[in-house]
Amino acid sequence: MSVDDQPIKRPIRWHILVFLAPAFLVYTAFMIVPLAGTLQLSLFRRIDQQLVYVGLDNFRMLFGDPRWSVNFWNALWNNCWFFIIHMLVQNPIGVLLAALLSSPKLRFRAFYRTAIFIPTILSFVIVGFVWKLILSPLWGVAPNLLDLVGLKSLFTPWLGKEEYALTTLSLISVWQFVGIPMMLIYAALLSIPDEVIEAAECDGITGLSQFWKIKLPLILPSIGIISILTFVGNFNAFDLIYTAQGALAGPNFSTDILGTFLYRAFFGFQLQLGDPNMGAAIATMMFFIILAGVCVYLFAIQTRLRRYQF
Amino acid sequence: MGSLTIENVRKSFGKVDVLKGIDLAVEDGEFVVFVGPSGCGKSTLLRVIAGLEDATSGKVLIDGVNVVATPPAKRGIAMVFQTYALYPHLTVRDNMGLGLKQAGTPAAEIDKRIGIASTMLSLEPYLQRRPAELSGGQRQRVAIGRAVVREPKLFLFDEPLSNLDAALRVNTRLEIAQLHRRLKATMIYVTHDQVEAMTLADKIVVLNAGKIEQVGAPMELYNSPANEFVAGFIGSPKMNFLDAARLGDSQAKTVGVRPEHLSVNTSSGAWKGTVVHAEHLGADTNLYLDCEKAGLITARIFGVYNAEPGATLFATPDPAKTYRFDANGQTLR
Amino acid sequence: MSRATSSPARSIGAHAVLIGYTVIALFPVVLIVINSFKSRNAIFRSPLSFPTPETFDPVGYTTVMAQGDFIQYFQNSLVVTIGSLFFVILFGAMAAFALSEYRFRGNTLTGLYLALGIMIPIRLGTVAILQLMVASGLVNTLTALILVYTAQGLPLCIFILSEFMKTVSDDLKNAGRIDGLSEYRIFFRLVLPLVRPAMATVAVFTMIPIWNDLWFPLILAPSEGTKTVTLGAQIFIGQFVTNWNAVLAALSLAILPVLILYLIFSRQLIRGITSGAVK
Repeated sequence: MSVDDQPIKRPIRWHILVFLAPAFLVYTAFMIVPLAGTLQLSLFRRIDQQLVYVGLDNFRMLFGDPRWSVNFWNALWNNCWFFIIHMLVQNPIGVLLAALLSSPKLRFRAFYRTAIFIPTILSFVIVGFVWKLILSPLWGVAPNLLDLVGLKSLFTPWLGKEEYALTTLSLISVWQFVGIPMMLIYAALLSIPDEVIEAAECDGITGLSQFWKIKLPLILPSIGIISILTFVGNFNAFDLIYTAQGALAGPNFSTDILGTFLYRAFFGFQLQLGDPNMGAAIATMMFFIILAGVCVYLFAIQTRLRRYQF
Repeated sequence: MGSLTIENVRKSFGKVDVLKGIDLAVEDGEFVVFVGPSGCGKSTLLRVIAGLEDATSGKVLIDGVNVVATPPAKRGIAMVFQTYALYPHLTVRDNMGLGLKQAGTPAAEIDKRIGIASTMLSLEPYLQRRPAELSGGQRQRVAIGRAVVREPKLFLFDEPLSNLDAALRVNTRLEIAQLHRRLKATMIYVTHDQVEAMTLADKIVVLNAGKIEQVGAPMELYNSPANEFVAGFIGSPKMNFLDAARLGDSQAKTVGVRPEHLSVNTSSGAWKGTVVHAEHLGADTNLYLDCEKAGLITARIFGVYNAEPGATLFATPDPAKTYRFDANGQTLR
Repeated sequence: MSRATSSPARSIGAHAVLIGYTVIALFPVVLIVINSFKSRNAIFRSPLSFPTPETFDPVGYTTVMAQGDFIQYFQNSLVVTIGSLFFVILFGAMAAFALSEYRFRGNTLTGLYLALGIMIPIRLGTVAILQLMVASGLVNTLTALILVYTAQGLPLCIFILSEFMKTVSDDLKNAGRIDGLSEYRIFFRLVLPLVRPAMATVAVFTMIPIWNDLWFPLILAPSEGTKTVTLGAQIFIGQFVTNWNAVLAALSLAILPVLILYLIFSRQLIRGITSGAVK
C-alpha cells in the first residue's frame, strides 16, 4: 500500500453529536430508563422496608393469587373486548366516512372533515363527563332522543349496568377516535392516482365494485396501521374509564381495564395500600402485551400487506 | 488559473465501490464533460471534486494544492445543480450574493459582480424576485449567475439541463458554451446525454462502473473509440455489434459498424436481410434489418428512403469505418 | 370525467350519511355548550333548546370562576404545553436532521432506538418516573411535566420530521455548503424554513395529547399550584357533581380553548395527515 492509498483522515463531525445529543438524552432519561426501571422493579418486593429480589414471584402472584389474578384476568378480558369493539365499529365507520369524503366533486368536504374530527381533539375528561351526562337518566336527554324515534323502551342507564357499561364506554371511545381512521384512510384514498380510477371506469368497474376491487386493496396497509395504533391506544387506555366510572371502574369492576387496574395497584384505593412493585409487574405485562401486538403487526401483518408504488 | 488533477481517487459506500481509482488531469480553461450511464460514478466524482463527498482515498489537486481536507467553500469552486438549488427565501440578488457575503467580500464588490453577471445572463429585470416567481430557464440562469459571481477556479455543472424542456435545453446549452468562451474558465460538466457531451466538450471523459473508459476530444471518441463500451455509448443510433465468427473474422470477437456507415441497395451487397421496420425522421431514415449473416442491424440513410417491412435489402458496411474488438472488448487496431 | 361517473342520487346519499355523522359528532359538544348558559330548571325541562332571554343564566360560569382557580390552571396548562412543544420541536428537528442528513456509524440503530417510543407508551414507565421525580425533587413542579412530555413527544416528531427532511433537496444544502454556510446555519436557515409546514403538523399532534392528558398531572403534579386545566376540571366536576350549571360551565370552559385552537390549526393538521405525514 502506497502512501496515496491511505484512507483520508476526517475530522470528527461534532455537529452530528450536537444535533443528536439533546433529544437522545431527554428521551433516554425520561422514557427508556424509567421503562427499564419499571421492568426491573417488577422483580423486587418490599419486605420489612427492604427491597428484596424475588424473581418472578410478583408475576406468579398476579396470575395465580386470587387477590390479584381475578382482577387481572378480568381487566385483560375487558381490555380485549374494548379492542374488539373498536376494530368492529371504528374501522368500518372510518372507511365509510373516508370513502364518502373522497368522492369526487363533493361539496362542503372541508366542513365535514373538520367537524367529524372535533371529538378527537377533546380531552378524555370532557368526553367522559359529557357522555355521562347525556346518558344519565337524571337529565333525560338520551331517553328523550330515543322517544323521538319511538324507541324509548330501549333506554336503560347503560353506564350503570354491568352487562352494558363496557360496551357503552367502548362505543364512546369509538365516537371520540373515529376521526383518526377516517383521516388516514382518506389520505390513502387521495393518494390513489386519478389515472388508476379512470382506468377502472373505462374497464367498467364502477361504484361499489370499484371500491371493493380497486380501492380497498390499495388502502389495506393504512387499515393495518390504524389497527396497530388502535391496539396500542386501547391497551394503554385509562383516562376515559377513570373519568366516567372512577378508579374502581364500576359497576363491580365490569369496566376495569389494564390501565385502571395499574392505577389502583400503584396508588391503592379505599383500604388497600399502593404497591409500586405490583404496579410495575402490571406495567411490565402491559409492556409485553403491547410489544407482542406490535411484533405481530410488524412481522406477520405488515410484511404480507403489500404497499404499492404508484 | 484553474487546473485540476485527480490521482487514484477511490470512493466506496460501505462495501460498494463507486469509484475504483480515477486518474485525470484537466488544464486551465478546458471544458471537460463527464459522461456515462446512470450509476457509473460521474456525479460522485464531481461531488468529490466539490468536496461534498469525501474520497475514501486518493488526491484531488486544484492548482497543484491537495484539497481533500478542504471544505467546499474554500476550494475555489462553484457548482450549478440539476435542481437549480436556489434558496427559496432569498431574492435573485441575495441568492447570487450569499456566498460572497459569507466570505466577507465588501458590499460594493458584491454589487459590481452581481451587476456583471446579471447583464451577462440578462437577469437584470428579475433581481428583486424570488425563485418561485421565475420560470425554469430563468432559475437555471440564476443558478449559473450564482456560480459566475464567485469567480471560481473551477465551474462544476451537475446535469444542469436535465430539468429543462427540449427547446430550452438547446438554448441554455448554447448559453453555457458562450459563457465558457467569454470567461475562459475551467468547467467540468456532468451529463448522461451524449449529445450535450459532444456539443459542449473540449474533452470528454467516458465513465463506466466507476472507471474511466476513455478520455479524448469528441471526434476522437467518435472516430477511434478505445473499446466496445465507448463505441456503443457515443453515437446515435447506437453502433451495430456483430458476432465476428459469423462474419468469418477469426481474430476479433465482435465487429462494430455505425448505422450511418452502412449503405443499402435493393439488388446486391454484403449482407442480405429483410426490413423489419422503418423510421422516417425527415432528414434521415432509420432502417431495421434482419440479416442472415449479421443479425438485427440498424442502418441510417440520409434523406428519405422508402422501404416496406418485409422487403429484401442488401446492406454494405464502409470498410474504412468498421471497428473490431477482442474478447475483452478492446479495440483491435 | 365526473359528469359521466357521478349520479345525483349517489351524491345525495353521501351528503345524508355525512350530515348524519356530523350531527352525531357535534351533538354532545353543542348540547353541553348551550345548556351551560341556561338556568337549572331550563336545563332539565328542555335540554335540547337553545338558551332564550328567559332561560339565560350564567350562574354556572360565576360558580366556576368563584370556586376553582381556573385562570391559574389555564396558565399551568399553557406553560406545560408550550414549553414541551418548544423542546419537542427543537430537539426533535435537530435529531431528525442529523439522522436524515448524515451517514455515520450507528445511524440506523439510533433511528430505531428513538422510534421505539412511538409504539411503547411512556405511561408504562410511570412507576419509575415518579421515583425519579421524587429523588430529584421535581414532584409537583411543571418542569417534571415538561420533561416527561418532551420525552413522550420526541419519537413521533423525529420520525415525521426526518421523513420530511429527506425531501429537502440535497442540491440546496450542497449549494449552501459551497457558499460557505456552516452545518448549523444550513439547518437553521435553509432546512427549518422549508419544513415549517411539517413542524406545524407535528406541533398540533404533540399539543393535543399534552393539553388533554390526565395521567401525568394526576400523578406527578396534583398540587393546587401546578394543576392543569384537564386535571382541574376533572377534580372540580367530581366535587360539584350535583351542581349541573357549574359542571356544564366547567366542561364548556375546558372545550372552548381547544376548539378555538383546533379551528385555527385544523387546516394545518388535516393537510399534515393527508399529505402522508403519518404513514
